[in-house]
Amino acid sequence: MHIILNNSSMVPIYEQLMDQVKSAILKGDLAENEALPSVRTLSGQLRISALTVKKAYDRLEEEGFVVTVHGKGTYVAAADRQLALEARRKSVEDDFASAVQKAAAVGFGREDILQIVEIILEDYPWS
Amino acid sequence: MVIVDNLVKTYGSFRLDLSMEISDGAVTGIVGKNGAGKTTFIKALLGLIRPDEGRITINGREASMLTGREKASIGAALSESGFSAYLRVKDVTAILSKMYPTFDEEYFRKNCRAQGLPEDKRISEFSTGMKAKLRVLSAISHRAELLVMDEPTAGLDVQARNDILDLLRQYLQENENCSVLITSHISSDLESLCDDIYLIHDGKILLHEDTDVLLGSYAVLKVSEEAYEKLDKSYILAGRKEAFGYTCLTREKQFYAENYPGMVIENGSVDDLILLMTGGH
Repeated sequence: MHIILNNSSMVPIYEQLMDQVKSAILKGDLAENEALPSVRTLSGQLRISALTVKKAYDRLEEEGFVVTVHGKGTYVAAADRQLALEARRKSVEDDFASAVQKAAAVGFGREDILQIVEIILEDYPWS
Repeated sequence: MVIVDNLVKTYGSFRLDLSMEISDGAVTGIVGKNGAGKTTFIKALLGLIRPDEGRITINGREASMLTGREKASIGAALSESGFSAYLRVKDVTAILSKMYPTFDEEYFRKNCRAQGLPEDKRISEFSTGMKAKLRVLSAISHRAELLVMDEPTAGLDVQARNDILDLLRQYLQENENCSVLITSHISSDLESLCDDIYLIHDGKILLHEDTDVLLGSYAVLKVSEEAYEKLDKSYILAGRKEAFGYTCLTREKQFYAENYPGMVIENGSVDDLILLMTGGH
């Protein structure tokens, strides 16, 4: 993947980055499940702030183009949007599973866990 | 994680008074003119001077009370290395390996070679750029979790500045959780490296912004006198009278671009910020 940023363009850097990753995915230059460079690596290569790269990756994930696996990296999502959505749901399920595992490890029972979830759901600002 | 809580330090009529937070893995830049208080702040952070009021904590521990072992997790490059000019790089290597249990001699030697710092030459014979590279390499060769860089690129040519910034970028890639605090006069250095930037003036924080927002949403408007009269100034942060009219700083580039077609709008930069926010008009 070759990314060329225009620092004097009126288009924000994170948008330029998003657009180029998107078109690389759509053209097939970036294959499904291929790992994108880490945030720090890409920020170093492009000489832009890590936060800018993170912002671009986050937006790409919201749009279903990539999936970030916490602690591992960011991967190109399945080209099919439906599959991309599946992958994101799966990663949420994985997050729940690991939370349950942690809870069980400190001795929380089924009721305790359900109660915690209830409290979190109550406080969640559903929009 | 570094937390600066209402730090106050007074020198005569100068008063440094600021609060900030640097989270783990963040690269934070501080800009400001000479005498704004950047170096005073860095000294307080490193526990080299005692604050008059307020406190600075590094990973929960008071900065002025850190033990030697805790200080070893910080890598600092200040305006002077503190090494005698009569020493050679190989002497410095020996000193650093005695000072820091985690000193990575192989990494240090390799980078000294790559940056063209000969082992057998006295520091007194080094150029300004070579000395600066030695200062930075001394700070990043013991796997520090927090790097504190006071003007690491001051007085250097563009190539040497780039070399130093690339060294830092490389370090950041290899140590993803490392945080950096860096000061500079040269704003393009910070724009290409930092996640967020603080603008300090007269000992106070004038502005704190993510670099991304700074480069994306800030803009400089150039307007004639008549256009300025009619301009909606709700989102103008600062302005300066010019021969042609006014130069204005905004953080709502989109608003002016959409509502004033044809207006001269340039992308904002840290330099504009400093000039317009601390220019005093």
